[in-house]
Amino acid sequence: MKKILLRYRFGLILLGLGSLVAVGGLDSCKVSEKASMKTGAQLWAENCQRCHNTPSPSTFSHEQWETIGMHMQSRALITDAERDKIVAFLSQ
Amino acid sequence: MRNTAFSRKALFLLGGMVLASATLLAQQTVVDSSLLDRVDELERQVAYKKPGEDHFLLAGLATMGFVASRSTNTLNGVSTVSKTNSFPDGDHYEFSPMLLWRHGKKFLMEFEPSFSDNGLGVNWADVSYFAAPGLIIRAGYFVLPYGMYAKRLAAGWIDKLPTDPMGVADMTPTDYGLEVEGGFGFGTMKMNYDLALTNGNQLNPDGTLSSGNLADNNNNKTITGRIGLLPLLNSSLELGVSGMFGKLGNQGTPQQNLMGRSYAFDLNYVKTFNPILVNIKSQYNIQDIDKTSYINPADQSGYTFNNHTTAFFAQASLRPTGLQNWVKNLELAGRYGTFNTPKESLIGSNQDSWGVGLDYWLSWRTVFKVGYESYTGNSTASKPLGAYTGKTTTNSFFVQFAIQL
Repeated sequence: MKKILLRYRFGLILLGLGSLVAVGGLDSCKVSEKASMKTGAQLWAENCQRCHNTPSPSTFSHEQWETIGMHMQSRALITDAERDKIVAFLSQ
Repeated sequence: MRNTAFSRKALFLLGGMVLASATLLAQQTVVDSSLLDRVDELERQVAYKKPGEDHFLLAGLATMGFVASRSTNTLNGVSTVSKTNSFPDGDHYEFSPMLLWRHGKKFLMEFEPSFSDNGLGVNWADVSYFAAPGLIIRAGYFVLPYGMYAKRLAAGWIDKLPTDPMGVADMTPTDYGLEVEGGFGFGTMKMNYDLALTNGNQLNPDGTLSSGNLADNNNNKTITGRIGLLPLLNSSLELGVSGMFGKLGNQGTPQQNLMGRSYAFDLNYVKTFNPILVNIKSQYNIQDIDKTSYINPADQSGYTFNNHTTAFFAQASLRPTGLQNWVKNLELAGRYGTFNTPKESLIGSNQDSWGVGLDYWLSWRTVFKVGYESYTGNSTASKPLGAYTGKTTTNSFFVQFAIQL
């Protein structure tokens, strides 16, 4: 048993961290007011540039931004609320 | 007599008023009818152009350039120098249209064929279901959630330097399977998770791994996962830890229970210290494969080695985004990387490289790069097997253009 635990120690650590994440996710209602009150412009500036330059709103139409928003959400793993606010800002 | 005259006048006045009202009414009707026709026409035009629930988008990227290299190999005290230059820089040329189909706000299909030095291939082909807030379910052929670089930063128009860090992206497979992922906030922090179940890597005869196999070579599935933490309210810092675990050998062979265990740690920090945008990225990969016996292709004899591989890079770039002139379009980048492959194998080598680059951003998604990279590789491959290749140093100059379409 000890040997197995030792062999898979990193996997178990990952599993433990995953469980913490899952518990944290269930308690997502505890997002702070500061975080939930962020505007689309603020979220656009903070999240897009984590990987690339901040995109110009004039690049695409609203329909295109909706599609790109879904694509980018699956890469940057932003929340649904963040995606919707960023898309709304880019669609203006 | 007077009454009769008055009555005639009143009748005349009344008749006049009725006639005038009728005329006005008729004119009003004409005006309204014209307006209604115009509104109908506009409604038809709007209806013709109204967006449906589905949407198709053709995007993509292109990367092309030039490289000139001078390489010196020293083996048994003898040095050999070679010079090459190629148009385009073959290792980094890529033309990849990306097709996105959106079905409402629940389904997204992604397909990215790619023409590169590997020929015509596919970067990913998958369907995502946005099941609930913080839960995306994906099936198909996709980049595994191992580290941060391959999935988020490898595109030419995103990468700050003309090259990829050695080994880092190569150790991240693209594979067939299922994936669940999502992000959520708690307090002032955010977390994200990404978990995949795929066919898994297969062990090659020389101890390296191959991936992206449509048919699984054994009955075991590989689990790959990454957890990311953004501890700061402004999302400027992300720390990630990843793991990948699965059997590698062919079913029914002595190697069928051979396990591969990989771990990756990544860091991403992006923050503006007015007027400079500071961008720091780093990733460390570790890959271990259970010890087994390999066959020497030269004489079919058996040999073994500790199949341990690591790759690392740290990169920083600075861009004066706060300035108001053309200088704000310049970005200076530097990177250090190492890639150590298994000692006493056919491919063993301790490699390191450093590179610098200057980018000029023509737009937020179009960049022109000039870069210089210095590489040193010290072979740690097996001398008895005749695989030892000595020391190699290569200095390369790059010019590259990259665009997202």
